[in-house]
Formats: sequence, C-alpha cells, structure tokens
Amino acid sequence: MELFDYSLFVSAIRMVSPILLAALGGALCARVGIFNVGLEGLILAGAFSAIVGNHFTENIFLAVLSGVAMSVVVSLVFGVATIHLKSNPIVAGIAINFLMLGLTTFALRAIFDVKGAYYDKDMAGLPKVHIPFLEDIPVIGKLISGHSPLVYVAFIAAVVLYIFLYRTVTGFRLLAVGKNPAAARSLGLKVTTLQYGAVILSGVLCGLAGAQLSLGQVTMFTEGMTAGRGFIALVATMLGQSHPIGIIGSSMLFGLMDALSIRLQGFSMPTQFTAMLPYVITILAMFFLKDRGTDSLAGQQSSR
Amino acid sequence: MYLQKKLQKLLKPLVQPFFAVLIGIITGAVAIAIVGEPILDTYIVMWNGAFGNFYFLTSTLARATPILLVGLGVALAFRAGVFNLGGEGQMVLGAVSAALAALYFPGPPAVKLVAALIAGMLAGGLWALLAGWMESRFKVQLLISTLLMNYVAILFASYLVAEPFQDRSGSAALAQTPMIEQGAWLPKLFTGMSVHMGFVIAVFCALLLVIILRFTTSGYEVKMLGLNPFFAEYGGVNKVKVLLLSMFFSGALAGLAGTVEVLGTQYRYVDGFLTAPGFAWTGLMAALLANSNPLGTAVAAILLAALQTGAMGMERNTEVPLEVASVIQAVLILFVSAKFTINWWKLRKKEGDVSGTV
Repeated sequence: MELFDYSLFVSAIRMVSPILLAALGGALCARVGIFNVGLEGLILAGAFSAIVGNHFTENIFLAVLSGVAMSVVVSLVFGVATIHLKSNPIVAGIAINFLMLGLTTFALRAIFDVKGAYYDKDMAGLPKVHIPFLEDIPVIGKLISGHSPLVYVAFIAAVVLYIFLYRTVTGFRLLAVGKNPAAARSLGLKVTTLQYGAVILSGVLCGLAGAQLSLGQVTMFTEGMTAGRGFIALVATMLGQSHPIGIIGSSMLFGLMDALSIRLQGFSMPTQFTAMLPYVITILAMFFLKDRGTDSLAGQQSSR
Repeated sequence: MYLQKKLQKLLKPLVQPFFAVLIGIITGAVAIAIVGEPILDTYIVMWNGAFGNFYFLTSTLARATPILLVGLGVALAFRAGVFNLGGEGQMVLGAVSAALAALYFPGPPAVKLVAALIAGMLAGGLWALLAGWMESRFKVQLLISTLLMNYVAILFASYLVAEPFQDRSGSAALAQTPMIEQGAWLPKLFTGMSVHMGFVIAVFCALLLVIILRFTTSGYEVKMLGLNPFFAEYGGVNKVKVLLLSMFFSGALAGLAGTVEVLGTQYRYVDGFLTAPGFAWTGLMAALLANSNPLGTAVAAILLAALQTGAMGMERNTEVPLEVASVIQAVLILFVSAKFTINWWKLRKKEGDVSGTV
C-alpha cells in the first residue's frame, strides 16, 4: 500500500466537506462579530437529527432537511443567548456543545434504546452523484465525480458565499456589521437582524455538515462523533481569514490530514499516533494564523 | 431598611444560580415526562441515589473529588482571564504519569506516593504551560489549542498503556498499567466507603486557592490580569509571567485530579477511566456555575457529582436513562451564561427607548 495515492485524494475530498461546511458557517458568524465556538454542537445536532429523520421518514432528502432544521433551532438558541441576552459567546458556545452532547446521548437512549452508537443496515445513506461527462475524463474524473451531493453543496456554498459577501448589497452590510456594529447601526442597518441571519445560516451549513458526517460514508451515529471537528473547522475559519476561498484551502488541508490519518492505520504504526495527526496539524497550523482573532486575554474580559 | 439592603446584597449573587437550577429542574422534568415516568417520584429516587444513605453520600463525595480539583484549575485560569478547555488532557497526562511514577520510582511506598503526586501535578502543569507559552509567545489561541491538545494527550496516554506499559500479568490484555503496591495508595476516609484522602486534598486546595486569591500579591495580580489586562500591564504586572504561572497551576490542579483518582480509586491507570465519566467537563461546568469562586466551585462540584450519582441511582430503579443528568447540566450552564434574570430586568427597564440608540 502506498502512502500517497490516488484514492487518498478522493477520500480527502469526501472528508473536506463537513469541515468546509462548518467552517463557512463559522466564517459567517465571524463576519458579523460573533465568535461561534458552538459549531461542534451544531454539527452534532445535525448529524443526529439526520439519522432520526432517515429512520422515521426513510427519505434521504427529508433526513437531510431534518438535520438542517434541528441545527437551525439550536443555532437560534445560541443566537438568542449571544445577541439578545448578550451572554459571552464563548461560554454560550461551550454550553451549546455540552447541551447537544447530552441531548443526543439522551435521545439516542430514548428513541433507539441503544448506548454509544446507532446503526441500521437497512438505512440508506446519501447517494453518489455521477456526473455524466466529467466522469470519463481519465485522472480528474474519479476525483470530481462519484461523491455524495453534500460534497458538491459544500464547494458550491463556498463560491455562493463569496459572491454573497463581496458582490451583493446585503453581503456588504453584513461585513459592515462585523467591522463596526455601532457605525453600521448609525447608518440604519438592522444589525440584530443581520446577526440573526448569519447565525441561522451557519446553523443551516452546520446541519449539512452533520448530515454528511452521519449519512455520507457509513450511515450511523455515534456519541460525540464530531470528535473536535467543530473546533478544527473553527481553526480552518481563522486560517482562511473568514474568506470563503481561503477557507476552501484551509479545509482541504485538514480534510487531507483526516484522510491521511485513516490511511496511515494500514501501516505498522500505533493507531493512537495516526489518530493524533489531524489535531497536531491543526495546532501547528495555528502558528501561521495571520488573523489571530481576538487576543484571548483581551477578548474574554466579560467572561466572569 | 438597612437589614433589607444587606439581605438583598447577600442574595443577589444567588438569584442567577437559583433561576438556572430551577430551569434545569424543569428541563429534567420534561425529559423524564418524555420517557413516561412520574416526575416527582423519579426526582426522589434521584435524591436518594445521591444522598439517601451514608454509602451513597460518600460515593457522591468520591465522585466530586476529581471534579472539584479540575474545577479549581479551570477557575484559576478563568481568574487570569483565559479559557483552559484542556482540563481533560492535563488530567489524563497527570494520571498516567502518577501511575508510572508510583510503579517505577525507586524507594519505599511512602516515597512512591509522594513521587506520584509530584509527577502527576508536574505532568498536568507542564502540558498546560505549553499551551500558555504558545499563547503568550506566538498568540496561538489558548481556547482552541488546549481543546485540541486534549485529543493528543488522551491518545498518547492510551498508547502508553496499550503498548509499552501494559499490564501483561492478567489473562485479559486490557489497556491498563499494572496495579500500584498497596503502600502507595491514598487511604480511604471510612472503611468500605469509596471516598478517599483525595477529597481532603481537594478541599484543602480550594481553601488554599481562596487564601491565595484574596490575600496575596500574586493572587491580586492574577485577578487584575483577568479583569483588565491593559490596566494590569499599566500597573506593572508582568502579564506573561502571571499568565504562565496561572496556566501551570491550573494544569497542575487538573493533573492532581487525575492523580488522586489513580492513587485513591483505581490504583492503576486504565484507558478511558477518566474520560468516560467526563470529570473534566463537569469540573469546567462547576467553575462556570460558581463564577470561578473557589469555594463556590467546591459546592457546585459536589452538587453536580450528586446529580450524576443520583442519575445512576435513577437508572437502576426507573426507566429513565442517566443521560438526563448531562442534559440538566448543560441547560444550567446555558442559562448561567445567558445572565438570564439580570438581562430580563434590563430589558424591562429599557422597554421605552429600545428602538433608539443602543
């Protein structure tokens, strides 16, 4: 088995999509001045609800939709807490992560009566999309074609978000809110509405990320299956400087590391070390952040 | 009138946690109702599971021990103005180092015990210090780096006990170290009960932290840094030094939490025995609930531990799954963070001019 071969990059593209989707959600929030630490919880909510939707409706579209809906509801809770009740976004985000971890484990017991993981072999996952002509191109064909629809949605979402932020009036207003809320308000912009909009949209994106996680490759849900991906996505957001195209790049890096970590298991290396790889690379990546966000010391004054 | 004002001042900080607890209980009731069990009876079963008799009470205190120690560590970091999410990793590294020190440090058992305590605190402290150093030197966000370092630490500890230091004496190849000799164990407080010396150590640490924060210069510097880093710097506080020291002791407390679990409960490091019950995260919640007050953290740690042991009792006797406890906990945190009551008052007051300038 070779370390770097063709299928590694194919699986990397698959791994990218949850991180990319969530990172775009994080970028939207960052652009309106909200540091969304709750991405992890939002993805988990989406992943779980997608499985629940799949179980009860047996319709893959409705399953994804229920994942998104749940994620949006949770993001609204986060929105109300941070925007309306002005709580510290970091504490609220961490609370959301806990809440979803607790709720999903509880619901796993209450709905499916299982502990740890739910798996049903009759459940259909996301279909694979075969693009007619591209598929036949020798090298790129297999790289581009044959993924789940959400993989394409992720990349399209990045481009759409780019156009939205930099080519539309609403996008500009959104950016203005993040740059200086007081000035934006004095211009007559509805700051709160725009912030809620961004938070809800990040809920939609994280719901899709969750659906890809639980329905994309193997159709199952395990407790805490996000395993820090929300935080890796957060780093991807920062590394990409909250710019959609930059985020594609940084997410690709982390997706590749995810794929590499699984690939390395085939070599005679302790699995613990291969599993460490994505986290170590993410920490190393943080050394290269240009936009370091808020200095933790200055930014968290209101946390007590 | 004076008395009333005094009473109000005394009660005001309690209003917030009170509402949070109330909402937590209501949420729990909803969850219990969804499963289809009688609410009040279930709560009574839960109470009995936590405090019902002496045995359950001591079990609750035993569970509160690591939670309290991690909580103190997190509270100390909060006071210095940083979010140490790495309690879990620091705790695990502390535990595995303590177990290895107790096993392989030469000398009589008492020396091994001391060596284990020091090794545990040192390992946790240094792991946290690394994150603190990355923050102060390279501006690597501590909030995220500490969280990601958890995974690295847990996986590394898991490797240590699965490969080089695995216990190969038993028949089953479990991922755990050999057992520590009995002389190096932390004694139990009551024979036959699970609460051990670690609880006394934890309470002592809480008191010590109160004294340090309230009466010493370094404690004052920590608080000043947390409240206003710019003013602290202006006032001549060495920002980097205080941050690094706070992080070191924050990690050391988390490491100590893991250490006392090894020396007082399991007598060896077992893979996943600290992460599965979520001690570190409960500790973080205790610190958040108590607004980083050390004594408050102690009370909150015992309450949260009671919630968990109570939920276990509930699961034994009713159909309600014990995960209800984690739902209640998370709701508590969410509402404590939202400063629910206070903001509600502010909104009412500002009702008239809300649409103007804010």
